[in-house]
Amino acid sequence: MSNSDATLANDKVSGADETGGDRRLWWRPPPTVRTPGSHHPLSWSKLPTLVRRLIVFAVLVAFWQMYMSVKHPNPLLFSGPAAAATAFVDGWRNGQIASATATTLEVLLIGMAIGLALGLVFTILATVSTVGKDFVMLMTAMLNPLPSIAILPLAIIWFGLNNNAMIFVIANAVAWPMAINMSTGFTTVNPTLLMAARNLGLRRWRMIKDVLLPAGLPFIMSGVKVSWAFGWRTVIAAELIFGTAGGSGGLGYYINTSQYFLKVPDVFAGLITIAIIGIAVEMLLNLFERRTVVRWGMQRA
Amino acid sequence: MASRVARIKKGGAPVGDTTGADAPGDPSIEGTGPDLLLSANGPQPQRDLPARAASNSLPDSDSTLLSLEHVRISYRLRRSVVEAVGDATFQMDRHERLMLIGPSGCGKSTLLKAVAGFIEPEGGTIRFDGRSDLTPGPDRAVVFQEFDQLFPWRTVIENVAYPLRVTGHERAEARQRAEFFLEMTGLAAAADRHPHELSGGMKQRVAIARALALEPAMLLMDEPFGSLDAITRVRLQGELKRIADRTRVAIFFVTHSILEALTLGDRIVVLGSPPSHVRTVVDVRELGGPTDPRYIEVQQHLHEQLGATDKDLSGVEL
Repeated sequence: MSNSDATLANDKVSGADETGGDRRLWWRPPPTVRTPGSHHPLSWSKLPTLVRRLIVFAVLVAFWQMYMSVKHPNPLLFSGPAAAATAFVDGWRNGQIASATATTLEVLLIGMAIGLALGLVFTILATVSTVGKDFVMLMTAMLNPLPSIAILPLAIIWFGLNNNAMIFVIANAVAWPMAINMSTGFTTVNPTLLMAARNLGLRRWRMIKDVLLPAGLPFIMSGVKVSWAFGWRTVIAAELIFGTAGGSGGLGYYINTSQYFLKVPDVFAGLITIAIIGIAVEMLLNLFERRTVVRWGMQRA
Repeated sequence: MASRVARIKKGGAPVGDTTGADAPGDPSIEGTGPDLLLSANGPQPQRDLPARAASNSLPDSDSTLLSLEHVRISYRLRRSVVEAVGDATFQMDRHERLMLIGPSGCGKSTLLKAVAGFIEPEGGTIRFDGRSDLTPGPDRAVVFQEFDQLFPWRTVIENVAYPLRVTGHERAEARQRAEFFLEMTGLAAAADRHPHELSGGMKQRVAIARALALEPAMLLMDEPFGSLDAITRVRLQGELKRIADRTRVAIFFVTHSILEALTLGDRIVVLGSPPSHVRTVVDVRELGGPTDPRYIEVQQHLHEQLGATDKDLSGVEL
């Protein structure tokens, strides 16, 4: 980088050899950290990520199958990978898992959207006013450690045995961790940047929208990840307790009824579906991070 | 926002009463002549400043841009109160480049932050352009020492254009203006990069371009080259000088380097150790440049002024 300044001594030629032409010239990928064995051409770390993860997955499945073949557990209580895979495929073929997933995701997404929005509003309130801050701090301290499923009984009384009760519980599970992470993001914005922004004439709303939110995005993203995990757990737990709501059951309900009828492979199929959705969402969020905070140099990949 | 770059009215060359009678040992303040803005860019509207009502306490002349009157600032640490600035009194003309120099901890950055409106002084008045209720604003654009004053999520050109949008410029005009100032600071080729892809020197250049694009009445620079390597620093000093000659923007520059102060300044205000007050003011314009024999003398004088006041001269580099 040191010669990047050299070209600027004369402003007629400024940047000519520095950035002109091939835009990639100025940037080089960071040198790969050398770990023991990484110099070997067939080393583990050189494999593509997907291949590495698939190999790990295959090994885990192999152990699972090995346990089945060696111990022969009671098929009424435990299912092997082959049976689980069959149940998974059948479940998706006949539409049962698909409709259960759709039901769960619908409730979850509505609940999360409300929860995230509330978290955002609370954080902004806490940022712009002291009363807001006191309120949000107290609420977060009280409600965040509370297992959100614990308020399901209350929610059922208030909203009845329907999706609204679940949405309420999920929103509650999501809002507080979101508010905590977001306000951490807001308060850790570096003071020079804040001063620069104030100097440039940014005030309240613009300050929040154009400085605090993007500057706090690394924390907001971890808030979204935590919220997602909380939301998922809560919705499945609520469905397990709830049984069905409004006619069609969700994934938790599917797992519960499968267990009731001792269809253990179907229980596994439900669990696999939950895991796959978890992985997919994780990938989506990571992709978003690569496009934003990583690209802006605010977070390492 | 209307252009903040002011022109002194043609004809009436303001002279006389700017000499700060209150500024101890300040023989140097002179009225600048009738100044024509050597307009750096076409689009800015050129207009004469409306004559400002004379303030009641200070005989501010039309050519005085900034005046500090017995300014006192202290800040609170966890247990103690540190009196940083004891009594700062000096003035600054339009288009002037004023260098504020002093030992570490003498409150020079604090003073700059007070002028920028981030800190309210405990005593005394700071009057800028006739106003004394100063809140942070783009008429006093600040360039900080830290590299992370840029918005990491905006590209270089967006960093320069965005504040212009905030101050009410049309999108196309903001972009055009940003391009112009990036060109001026030699960053045109880096316009679409993000800040983390720039070297330290380039980041400071972006900050300077961003500040200049706002066409402030005054540029506040808080050791902007303090974190740069020696070579880049010298190069940027040259750049800044060239740009300042071209735009005639007034510069309030905090530094702890005598050489930097001599290179860039019209006048140098020397602060003592805390609680600091103005020890001396040196007019550099009278000097011929580094070849002038008096240059060494002045340098020596400044050194003494700083060295005699503070044991740790280590903060000051020659």
